[in-house]
Amino acid sequence: MSNNYFNTLPLREQLEQLAKCRFMDISEFSDGVEALKGKKMVVIGCGAQGLAQGMNLRDSGCDVSYALREAAIAEKRQSWKSATENGFVVGTYEELIPTADVVLNLTPDKQHTPVVNAVMPLMKEGACLSYSHGFNIVEEGMQIRDDLTVIMVAPKCPGSEVRNEYVRGFGVPTLIAVHEDNDPKGEGLALAKAYAAGTGGHKAGVLMSSFIAEVKSDLMGEQTILCGMLQTGSLLCFDKMIEKGIDAGYASKLIQYGWETITEALKYGGVTNMLDRLSNPAKIKAFDLAEELKDIMRPLYNKHQDDIMNGTFSRVMMEDWANDDKNLLGWRAETAETAFEKTPAGDVEISEQEYFDNGILMVAMVKAGVELAFETMTAAGIIADSAYYESLHETPLIANTIARKKLYEMNATISDTAEYGCYLYNHACLPLLQDFMKGIDTDVIGKGLDLEDNGVDNARLIEVNAALRAHPVEAIGTELRGHMSDMKKIV
Amino acid sequence: MNIRLDNLTVNFDDRFQLDDINWQLDDSQHWVITGANGSGKSALAAVLASAGEQVSGTIDGVPARVGLVSFEAQAELIERERKKDDADIMDVISEGTPVREILNEDGRNPELVEQLVTMFKLDSLVDRSFRKLSTGESRKVMLIRALASEPELLVLDEPFDGLDAHTLEMLQQYLAGLVETVPMVMVLNRFDEFPDFVTHIAYVDQGRLQLQVDRNDEQAYNELYQLLHLKTTDLEVPAADPENDIPRLDPTQPLVRLNKINITYDGHRIIDSLDWTIEPNQHWQLSGPNGSGKTGLLSLITGDHPQCYVNDIFVFGFQRGNGESIWQIKQFIGYVSTALQWEYKVGTGLRNVIISGFYDSIGLYTKATEKQKQIADEWLKLLGMSDRADTPFNKLSYGDQRLLLIARAMVKHPPLLILDEPCLGLDDMNRQLVLALIEKICAGTETSVLYVNHHPEDQIKGIENYLALEKRTPEA
Repeated sequence: MSNNYFNTLPLREQLEQLAKCRFMDISEFSDGVEALKGKKMVVIGCGAQGLAQGMNLRDSGCDVSYALREAAIAEKRQSWKSATENGFVVGTYEELIPTADVVLNLTPDKQHTPVVNAVMPLMKEGACLSYSHGFNIVEEGMQIRDDLTVIMVAPKCPGSEVRNEYVRGFGVPTLIAVHEDNDPKGEGLALAKAYAAGTGGHKAGVLMSSFIAEVKSDLMGEQTILCGMLQTGSLLCFDKMIEKGIDAGYASKLIQYGWETITEALKYGGVTNMLDRLSNPAKIKAFDLAEELKDIMRPLYNKHQDDIMNGTFSRVMMEDWANDDKNLLGWRAETAETAFEKTPAGDVEISEQEYFDNGILMVAMVKAGVELAFETMTAAGIIADSAYYESLHETPLIANTIARKKLYEMNATISDTAEYGCYLYNHACLPLLQDFMKGIDTDVIGKGLDLEDNGVDNARLIEVNAALRAHPVEAIGTELRGHMSDMKKIV
Repeated sequence: MNIRLDNLTVNFDDRFQLDDINWQLDDSQHWVITGANGSGKSALAAVLASAGEQVSGTIDGVPARVGLVSFEAQAELIERERKKDDADIMDVISEGTPVREILNEDGRNPELVEQLVTMFKLDSLVDRSFRKLSTGESRKVMLIRALASEPELLVLDEPFDGLDAHTLEMLQQYLAGLVETVPMVMVLNRFDEFPDFVTHIAYVDQGRLQLQVDRNDEQAYNELYQLLHLKTTDLEVPAADPENDIPRLDPTQPLVRLNKINITYDGHRIIDSLDWTIEPNQHWQLSGPNGSGKTGLLSLITGDHPQCYVNDIFVFGFQRGNGESIWQIKQFIGYVSTALQWEYKVGTGLRNVIISGFYDSIGLYTKATEKQKQIADEWLKLLGMSDRADTPFNKLSYGDQRLLLIARAMVKHPPLLILDEPCLGLDDMNRQLVLALIEKICAGTETSVLYVNHHPEDQIKGIENYLALEKRTPEA
């Protein structure tokens, strides 16, 4: 049975690991992929992330091949097809792992334990094992052979983005870490940097973090603001609009594309810019709603963070793994049956600005979720840079998946771990907001404010603007976005 | 009056030919004919005054009295007067024909002549010999002759050339007063000289009437402006960035050598055992039907195709699959295609889009140097887009985007420029624009062009090598 690694550490070390996060300068990547030249990289798993990273690394001049399970090869499964059609050498673990200098474990979290157990004995002395997510090490306490170097390179985007951004000549923000218990030759950092450069991540910004900070912040972000809040918000806003007689097609479209549109403003200029897109009266309204939401939801965010920190969350989820994903599959089916999910977006024109004007509550929900997640993470010892990436930065990326195919697409794109946490949040948050929703009408969701004029009280507006700009997520956001000043708009 | 030219071909002393002109002018319209030097715009105007030798086709409806002003007509009159002088065999100094006589030839309205003489401020010159007039003065005489002939059609070839500001303004006002009664056709090169009453513009290139634009069609009008700018500007293709030179290639090696390459999708072979070598300074045209693998073939060269790692490909000194990165390959290539345009959905300003060509990136992720900005601005000037340097790229028209992407591809002066159906999806006007730009590039640089195209009419001068792909039928 697994042994939570984080919980074995003394508090001092826990805090030290959680606080690890440094935005690296591009000059630290001037060696490019040099540290990987002449080394053989073998990727395990050829899903979206595995294929994207492998293609990027190969295009950067690295030697990449794919190790798949014998059954996947024999049955010519999708992973085998993806790898072979893209001109990669494909082989079994037994064929390829013993030749590998770096093994890239890019399988889903759930498979990490069996995969690593199968691979480790085949790995050559002194090789490197790489993860894109630290769950297996931190939450399951996987023990890696002493002679092996263990690193993490985690692009903070879905696989498709990882590849597309590379082809554009850019990359996606990436988090790297070295597992200090497994860095026998002291080459972990050099390998992780070269790997990040090979995927193009260094151009978009690399955070030097720790396995622990990555896991604890990643879990928190994805469960709460990223997936949980968007799912809960979608369901509540849709049901409210139907209840108030708004056309179902309109309501469906407003939500499906609304998250993407309003969080695009978030991506460019933080929470402040997102609220600045509203008229003054609407901004004050959104601000007040968000304050109310934060008060109501704060205990829930705290609970999620606590459960993540003390290992309750991963323990409960792993129990579900052991139980053939009974909960996960049940919740997934339940989501597919919701009214929002089953109502197609109507054939109506909604202008970019209208998504803001008629979606004041959605703006308030994003603001409340981002700020709460950020506040809760930093209060738990996670450094502001990490908290920013795992809350505000990723929200537009998840919103994009909803725009594509609603909640189904979101839950299909994110990891099982994120999906599981999302459902947990959703089930707790829906009843929590029941009373709050009773006071909601179409002026804040569906129709927009119906005002004679846009007049507001000066003092109140100044107060709201000041409060928006003073939030700590805005300070770190301004700094980190500054590193990506020429960030392009991908439509 | 309706003038119709149908499939009209006219020869001018075997020097020049107007080809297959189809044109209709209604009497409520006022046209400007425009085009580059030597395009045939003056010839087309002169045809309305019966110039040239009609080879085929028809021209109908030209009125009896056509008032013509042009350099050719002016030269003819001067030549005629000079001959009179030569004919004088007596040993007396010829005074030549006085201006007044020239003005009143052919029974022109004397009152109107007087009035115009005053307006053109020629009063003090009317008794002087025509031969002694300056070019500008004799131009004014030509104008008065044309205007006083009570014309049913005025054909004015560059009427404003060489006029002082005062006369220019007076003439424009006078012409504006005639718009209700006399249809006008003017040859003008400068858009800012187009009088407000002009309703239509004809664009002539290589002896053909290529485009007819309604002035109210604002977009077409702006595009025509750009086209004329590209065709007539003396601006050269801006130089490469001396601070960021592309590595020198071994001139004895081919740019590209594909050896028995294959492309396979879903078990179906699209390209089968193809050999192809592109030597430095060769221009190539690649053609083939849809699905014949043109784009796949190109992406093997650019490194965008994953199967470039399972083929024998030598590009720009690299045997593929030996630890080189695709950015090392792409630095030698400029690339334009419809697919790139679809991908290039960014809100970045035009200057930055051009600069992104130095980095082969979609969007700009590096701080540009001053030199790069300067080069980008030179390109914008060439394209006639200087005033839009900071306009978001995605706000441009489709055709302008294409032009800009060609500039982006060329900004670093790559050894190989790949133009994958550069005119695809463009209307006539933008097609002309793109071809004009490509011609300028071919003429002014040492870049090898690889041109992919279906349309035989979109030929580019100077291409001497051809590769035609055929669509392979699925194997059993």
